[in-house]
Amino acid sequence: MNFAKRNFKEIIRDPLSVVFAVLLPLLLLFIFQQFKIPSDNYRLENFTPGIVVFGFSFISMFTATLVSKDRTSSFLIRLGVSPMKPVEYILGYMLAIIPMIALQNVLFFILAVLLGLPFSVHIIWAILVSFAVSVLFIALGIIIGSVFSEKASSGIASIVVQLVCFTSGMYFPREMLGKGFAKVCEFLPFESCVTIIKGVMNNDLTSITPRNIIVFAAYTVVVFVIAVVLFQKKMLSDNKGG
Amino acid sequence: MLAIETKELVKKFKDVTAVGGINLQVKEGELFALLGTNGAGKTTTIKMLSSLIVPTCGEIEILGMDIVKDRQKIREIINVSPQETAIAPNLSVKENLEFMANVYQIPNREAKIEELVTLFHLEEVLGKKAKTLSGGWQRKVSIAIALINEPKILFLDEPTLGLDVIARKELWTVIESLKGRITVILTTHYMEEAESLSERIGIMAHGKLVAVGTAEQLKQSAGKSTLEDAFVELATKGA
Repeated sequence: MNFAKRNFKEIIRDPLSVVFAVLLPLLLLFIFQQFKIPSDNYRLENFTPGIVVFGFSFISMFTATLVSKDRTSSFLIRLGVSPMKPVEYILGYMLAIIPMIALQNVLFFILAVLLGLPFSVHIIWAILVSFAVSVLFIALGIIIGSVFSEKASSGIASIVVQLVCFTSGMYFPREMLGKGFAKVCEFLPFESCVTIIKGVMNNDLTSITPRNIIVFAAYTVVVFVIAVVLFQKKMLSDNKGG
Repeated sequence: MLAIETKELVKKFKDVTAVGGINLQVKEGELFALLGTNGAGKTTTIKMLSSLIVPTCGEIEILGMDIVKDRQKIREIINVSPQETAIAPNLSVKENLEFMANVYQIPNREAKIEELVTLFHLEEVLGKKAKTLSGGWQRKVSIAIALINEPKILFLDEPTLGLDVIARKELWTVIESLKGRITVILTTHYMEEAESLSERIGIMAHGKLVAVGTAEQLKQSAGKSTLEDAFVELATKGA
């Protein structure tokens, strides 16, 4: 918890992280509801889960930046000679993000309700499910931060933001860009993330296909394992020196 | 008792031999400087001695304990101040000290922090975020953090690199105050730093420890009047 507390303070004291991870998605949710766009994608019951996942893509970015900063500033070397155990590092990064995830979710759903989304207990379930979904995005951030420099990390992580926008189906149906593109999206995790949260939030569990669950679960497990292995490996390999 | 003893210490990264067979003995309470050019193997040596990386072959004993078998115990009695400042940038100086005190589960946390604040004269920067401090202050904080667990052995990797003369002199005073109480292993590029602070100096070149002795002994052995000339002579001859 000590390391998680430190990581939380590092994130929350960087105003940009709050602006991008919380305020920008809130603004988008608000603005798109003002336009009355004639597309089902922008109805609150469809668009709100998309905004939740969009917010998570910024969580990837901030996790990546934090991990990368800790590596390049030798902060991890200092901790590496301490009695801290390897599992405590990964848990420390993950637990630190949870309050931010909670803040995002609560604010997104409050705004959605204020804009007209009918409140139901399923919103609470959707929030709980989204915590599980966030593991994928935190792990993605750890991978990016373990591999790239501090400057490169935010650039590379912005690819996750773009992938969420283009492949999750939050802004437009994926079929709009062709059958091939739609097929590719099915095998990326972002559309499944949105569909799962949407299905739970709207109490429409039949809309969640086995493919959604398999794709999401497989990506989460694989990405998490890669994150743990890569982080430990990079922590050591960064300790080469003159 | 010896604080550090290495036997035929080797570290290879794939085909590159960073450290090639070092035999070193450092007494308890000694301030020992490792001098060397870039890529001489100083940092790699420090990282092996501080249990961060495992030697390819050879032995390391820290206060009689084996670096591989007794790694966890050793980590409780050593600490390191890395080349980069290695402090949490958005945390205040006090929060940085508290964080590391919790990592080491220091029982008398507040008293220990107070002691370090007094020793390093950190009162005026205690509430400031670490990233807002000057390079000199950041180094001071970095060394203060490294003393949080009252280490028996402290590794200082280029502690004054990039600092101005005044900040460097201030840091020297701090390092000198540790003499005799803690075994300090210091790597540096600066001859005057090694000469002024350390009791003995080891000269590294191309991964090898080519000479060890007091500054006077090294000058005599190289037949030179200054440590810089002696260093150039011994480092180039050893290579």
